[in-house]
Amino acid sequence: MIGLVGLSSDVARTIVEFCRFAREKGLSPGVQETLDALDAAAALGVRNSEEMKFGLRAILCSSKDDWDLFEECFEAFGRESAPKPPSNRTKVLRKELATRVSERNSTSLMSTGSGDDVSSKLDGAQAVTGASARERLTQADFSTLSHSDLAALEQISLRLFKQMSRRLARRRRIATSRGQVDLRRTIHRNISRGGEPMNLRYRQRKPRPHRLVTLLDISGSMSAYSLFLVKFLYALQKHFRRVDTFLFSTGLVEITSLFRAQRLQEALQALSQQPAGWSGGTNIGGSLREFNDIHRRKLRSSDTLFVILSDGWDTGDPGVLAGELCTVKRRVRRLIWLNPLLGLKDYQPIASGMSAALPHVDVFAPAHNLDSLLALEKHL
Amino acid sequence: MGEFPTLPSGTGNQGVDAIVSGFERLGYITDRSLATAVYLVTKLRKPILVEGHAGLGKTEVAKVLASFLGTRLIRLQCYEGLDVNSAVYEWNYQKQLLAIKIEEGSNKSVEEKERHIFTREFLLERPLLQSILAENASPVLLIDEIDRADEAFEAFLLELLSDYQITIPEMGTIYAKHVPYVVLTSNRSRDLGDALKRRCLYQWIDYPSLEKEMKIVRTRLPRIEEELARQVVGYVQAVRGLNLSKPPGVAETLDCAEALLTLGMPKLDEDAIEQTLGCISKSVEDSAKIRTAGAERLLAGSMGRLQ
Repeated sequence: MIGLVGLSSDVARTIVEFCRFAREKGLSPGVQETLDALDAAAALGVRNSEEMKFGLRAILCSSKDDWDLFEECFEAFGRESAPKPPSNRTKVLRKELATRVSERNSTSLMSTGSGDDVSSKLDGAQAVTGASARERLTQADFSTLSHSDLAALEQISLRLFKQMSRRLARRRRIATSRGQVDLRRTIHRNISRGGEPMNLRYRQRKPRPHRLVTLLDISGSMSAYSLFLVKFLYALQKHFRRVDTFLFSTGLVEITSLFRAQRLQEALQALSQQPAGWSGGTNIGGSLREFNDIHRRKLRSSDTLFVILSDGWDTGDPGVLAGELCTVKRRVRRLIWLNPLLGLKDYQPIASGMSAALPHVDVFAPAHNLDSLLALEKHL
Repeated sequence: MGEFPTLPSGTGNQGVDAIVSGFERLGYITDRSLATAVYLVTKLRKPILVEGHAGLGKTEVAKVLASFLGTRLIRLQCYEGLDVNSAVYEWNYQKQLLAIKIEEGSNKSVEEKERHIFTREFLLERPLLQSILAENASPVLLIDEIDRADEAFEAFLLELLSDYQITIPEMGTIYAKHVPYVVLTSNRSRDLGDALKRRCLYQWIDYPSLEKEMKIVRTRLPRIEEELARQVVGYVQAVRGLNLSKPPGVAETLDCAEALLTLGMPKLDEDAIEQTLGCISKSVEDSAKIRTAGAERLLAGSMGRLQ
């Protein structure tokens, strides 16, 4: 801890104030970062504020988003901070740090339960106003599905995933027979026989998990299904090693981290806490473009399944939709489009969006009831 | 921006200056932002996470830092399925078997034999262990493309980066004599865990400004004509504005310039652009976009900005 030694009180105070300010603006420096910032200032022996800025930026940021935010933050701080009357420096500093410690403790406790920072990000990314999901939860006619049906869904999901993983395991066995000899364990095992490898130990390739990327349409036309499908996605998510989940209507919202490591109820709760354009309009092409622009790197042709759940009613340009789908198609192993309307008897995919999309889709399947979801198994 | 009270010039500034000029001597043009972060790496001894688009010299940071400090560079290239055997250590099984065979006739006890074959003599040191075992000075440990490794490995790394120690069940725990300077790079193909990010300093490397890129080209290709360098850099910068799926990085600029030199082309015109298109664009769609934009516009745009 070199920070508090040899650092002028003004600098130290300004840094602590800046950390607090940055926190208000959405960066998340904890106590450690604040202390690091003090250390950095001492190490840099700041002469001009530019170096201070670079140093603070390296310490307080941890992603490109932070990086962009920092610039703004730093300038705003410059504007807002007016010279303050000098006060007892160590006392102030200690107090600041003490409050920071307690703040940090309390916030970290709070944020473990709900995806706090995620929701704030979502708010920023998506300013679409609409009924919040909580309202949707209470009002959507999904109430037609009884409790026993829900239980059935759970069971079916379980079965689906068990079979899937069993199949994956079989594939691997055929491919690599008994696996490689694990020399380490073999030797250990056979020391007593003078190292003669009598008892071989094997090592198998870790099953290569399929990645799943899902985009769920939550626009108005899908409202009868979207809640049900959210639950389905949640169940799916548990079984792939890497899953990225997105919601879209007029824009795209990533909910991957919202879903992760939470119970279904908690996930729904967290989802409901921000209006994410539920039951709004639809712009599938635009949403896909957003996906391609920002998240394209998450697709890897060798093992990614890409699933779109949408009825294909699109208010955007069908040309854009087709183009973006084509881009996605080239980067994934399989592109699956699930359309609840396909369950209707006389449904023809003539909606302009849907017909533009079809040529690029590997699997076009219904998703309106449990059976149709169960049938999905063969495509996963 | 003058709100941070100023101090008399300290060693820090000289340190940052030294890094800027030292890196430049080694052929790496850097700005004060990166230099400051690197300086803090050497002072605070925290790892640094460098992110940015491909071809902007993320990996190079570690290499140059190692030369600058006159220390060893240890590199770990991450990939999916990277495991402890290839990242940390593995036993030299053949040698162990041989040793057991040789000692077959001796009257050592089984325990003694076991102890013997699990000594450092039989250990194959992989990058992470090497970085811990460094004898003389702190090495630079480059963990390249950490986003490609799976999350389990990331968790392991987290442990290593906090304690700088590695436990080998047969041997015990090995502590670092000299804590390595750690540089991690990521292409952002997935989000890294918060815990790891928190532990690191962060640096985002963006596309360089025209001036900086000129300087890079001049430094790396000293024999290039000033005029040609200007054209190439301006052209590549214009291409970056085309919203390609893979915008060209600095590496591509250098490739293109070098290609022109090799082909003996004195200036960049439509013909030259066509011939060196493979240096700049890495997909059919991107090539088409560049052709559609037209050589004239791309070159004119660059000239306009220069004047």
